[in-house]
Amino acid sequence: MVSLKMTRRGFLNTAAISAAALSIPFSLKRSVASDNKSNNDKKIHISQNWCEMCFWGCGVTAYNREGRVFKLEGQPKCPKNYGKLCARGNSGIYQLYDPDRLKKPLIRTGKRGEGKFREATYEEAIAYVAEKTNKAIEEYGKGTVSLIAHGSGEHAFINLMELIGSPNIAIPAYSQCTGSRDIGWWLTFGRPYTTSEPIDGANSKCMMFFGRNVLEAVMVGEAQRVTEGLAKGAKLIYVDPRYSKTAAKADIWAKIKPGTDLALMLGMINYIVNAKLYNADFVDEYCSGFDELKEAVKDNTPEWAEKETDVPAETIKNICHELASAAPACAIGPGRRLTRYGDDTQHVRAIGILNALMGSWDTPGAFYKISGMNVTIPHICEIEHAKGEEEIERVDGAGSEYRLAPKNLGLENKLMKGILAGKPYPVKVLFAYGTNLFQHYPDYEECKQIVNKLDLLVTCDIYLTETALYSDVIFPESTYLERKDPISVVAEKYPYVKYREPATAPLYNTIGAYELVERIAKKMGFNNHFKTVDEVNKEILEQLGISINVLKKDGVYVKPIFDGIYPQAEGKELEFNTPSGNVELYSTFCERLGFDPIPKYTKHEMPKGNEFRLLFGRQSFHTHARTQNNRWLLALHNFEVKAWIPKGKAAKLGIMNGDKVRLVKGDKKSRELIAYVTDEIHEDAVFIPHGFGRLSEFMELAYEMGGASDSNLCSNDTDPISGASAFHNAFVKIEKV
Amino acid sequence: MSKNKKYVMVYAIDRCVDCKACMVACKAQWEVPEDYFRTHIDEKYSPDKLAANRKYFLPSQCNHCDEAPCVSVCPTKASHKREDGIVYVDRDICIGCKYCIVSCPYDARFFNEEVGVAEKCTFCLPWIQEGHQPACVTTCLSNTRIFGDINDPNSEVSKVLAEAKKNKSKIWKLREDLGTEPNIYYVQS
Repeated sequence: MVSLKMTRRGFLNTAAISAAALSIPFSLKRSVASDNKSNNDKKIHISQNWCEMCFWGCGVTAYNREGRVFKLEGQPKCPKNYGKLCARGNSGIYQLYDPDRLKKPLIRTGKRGEGKFREATYEEAIAYVAEKTNKAIEEYGKGTVSLIAHGSGEHAFINLMELIGSPNIAIPAYSQCTGSRDIGWWLTFGRPYTTSEPIDGANSKCMMFFGRNVLEAVMVGEAQRVTEGLAKGAKLIYVDPRYSKTAAKADIWAKIKPGTDLALMLGMINYIVNAKLYNADFVDEYCSGFDELKEAVKDNTPEWAEKETDVPAETIKNICHELASAAPACAIGPGRRLTRYGDDTQHVRAIGILNALMGSWDTPGAFYKISGMNVTIPHICEIEHAKGEEEIERVDGAGSEYRLAPKNLGLENKLMKGILAGKPYPVKVLFAYGTNLFQHYPDYEECKQIVNKLDLLVTCDIYLTETALYSDVIFPESTYLERKDPISVVAEKYPYVKYREPATAPLYNTIGAYELVERIAKKMGFNNHFKTVDEVNKEILEQLGISINVLKKDGVYVKPIFDGIYPQAEGKELEFNTPSGNVELYSTFCERLGFDPIPKYTKHEMPKGNEFRLLFGRQSFHTHARTQNNRWLLALHNFEVKAWIPKGKAAKLGIMNGDKVRLVKGDKKSRELIAYVTDEIHEDAVFIPHGFGRLSEFMELAYEMGGASDSNLCSNDTDPISGASAFHNAFVKIEKV
Repeated sequence: MSKNKKYVMVYAIDRCVDCKACMVACKAQWEVPEDYFRTHIDEKYSPDKLAANRKYFLPSQCNHCDEAPCVSVCPTKASHKREDGIVYVDRDICIGCKYCIVSCPYDARFFNEEVGVAEKCTFCLPWIQEGHQPACVTTCLSNTRIFGDINDPNSEVSKVLAEAKKNKSKIWKLREDLGTEPNIYYVQS
């Protein structure tokens, strides 16, 4: 393959090959005249969808001209994105036409990971899966079947698991992402934060984020709210070891020593309490445990915090004054992927406490209250389990060992460990839907050992990912632009339903998850009636009392909400669903479970000598490990994967900007990265973008990009409260290639 | 007598977050050749290297100049200035000599190898004549990009520029010293 790397506006390069260009026959010049195409053309077909380039589900309208989707546009009425799309959303067209997509069902013929498969018919592949699954159930029981799923089709697979009767379902969005965030918020306020990301940025006077790179790990609606607020003059305080694009918009960037965020928060709490910057009315009326809090943080002065965090005490005090002068129209965001140091739930508790001290709750400029829609989502198939049937123990400990981890989301990290240990019983079948274990479960070798414990690994995806590479059967899913899924209900500030219809017929021999699951279930011998997507949609539309034409026109139906968004500002009585009914500065639930009722700072291990703490995160233009084969997105960063390396240490190691480097951890060596040597990252840290360093050569561009896979190098610790993972306790060295 | 339309674009650059959605929206809609874009966002640093917000993001594209060098060097008049202000390349006349590409001081053009013509931003003509905004404007989540007719005092671009003048915001265009009379306005508070 020719090298992808080229100068971005490489007209000098193209000039060098002008002879070739001149030889293009004149007739070809006419064949691609896209500049003259008009929308008045009757052949344009418009369809409604929700974007699945990431998981936020922005409303999207697809334009199809003469059978080819040529434009995606945000739906103006969708509360998730109000007419806008990000780079990934716009690049859905490349994904649809990506030549590397899975096109037919595949059955493994070589060893696991060897990449040898044969094409199969759906009948054959489904029969294979049904037979092996039934055999495993017979031998080991129902619990032997497990599911790890992420994406719109996950509900179909959850249905399959319910039919089978296995509790071993894990949605990685909990343990590998927001678990600690939602538990920490819930412990404090009695409600989870939710993926509405309800920060009221547009009305805010001051926003603060701890490593929540809100303008690069983009959720369009949230970024819209934040940029709108900033345009209106809101202050932005951003804490991150790295000068990200969010930092570039900040009034104060606190370049924190990674691993010490909690110390900074406690320093702030100490100062706010002692300088009496808190909202006394809110604290008196709604919060419990203020005196205990004051006592607990008495030694955590800003000066103490400075020593821990490298953030000057004066800056810490300034931050507190900025927040207090904006309060209650200020918001301290609890973050999103909180899988860092293992004390992440306490980290969010501390952020919750800071917001409570400011009275930033259910009021404009702080956080708004979301609501749902009064709609019962019909089951795809009715499931009746015999009464008195014994409940099967979960492998992951959600709800038992990890009491606060919700069973509907499970703990993927612990399910994987359970498969490896074969305890409490052997799990021999795993369905992986829209998720790529190898790129988010720490350590390739351990991941290989885990999948090798399985009798059957089934992947349903659109690419031949690393997980697919180790799978026995691979089902190619239709992309979101080719399929119909049931109407989905979204809880939001303005709750809405969203609608998906195909923008084009499937390009290849692919089907959607709902059809696939029905066929697997039937083959396994379940005779339950499965509703079609149209039948489910009809039931939902009847409940809403609207016609399908509303959704065909707007893509969404939004429920009008007139009050209850800002209960505090509206003078309503506030309710907190905590054990005490208050905002719990002192968490009685934590006390009952044996955890610190008020967050305490414990020093984490720090890098020694030439070590760096490995940090990783998002870029604006990639999602998880899903978009790294998208040429349009790769071109945005000139096909380069860069490691941010601090200047001082780089000089000692003789690493210059642009050098090729590898990350090294023990005997593990990453693939090559480009050194980006900068003083805009803390000396303790190296930062890499997530999703690179791929193993599967079937995703040709992603593979060629090289780079380091954070999942192979990061830590696999556990937050004891939420049960979620902690990835940022790993240390790496850097060597020149 | 009403004046002709004159299309321009304003970038409220304080708003830009470098998400690069504009680059991809444009690329998708106009089948821009592999690995090329008609618009870009660059990272820039202000001279005050210590300020928290020292880094900013600067979009760029064809400036649709009134005195466009690409138009004057074009031997076939394929590159021409339309009455509505848009500098446009007629693909039927372009012979692919690339003079225009080299002449552009904004580096806004590149060669389309597939079609054999010079290519650049068209302000999404003819899409805009059908009641739409250009693709980059529609998708811009931070509302950095504002497009319209500067000869219409009630258009959003006119209003935004008037407001910016009133607020004494910094307003500039790129390389005005070259006499190209560009039509992309940069506004920074």
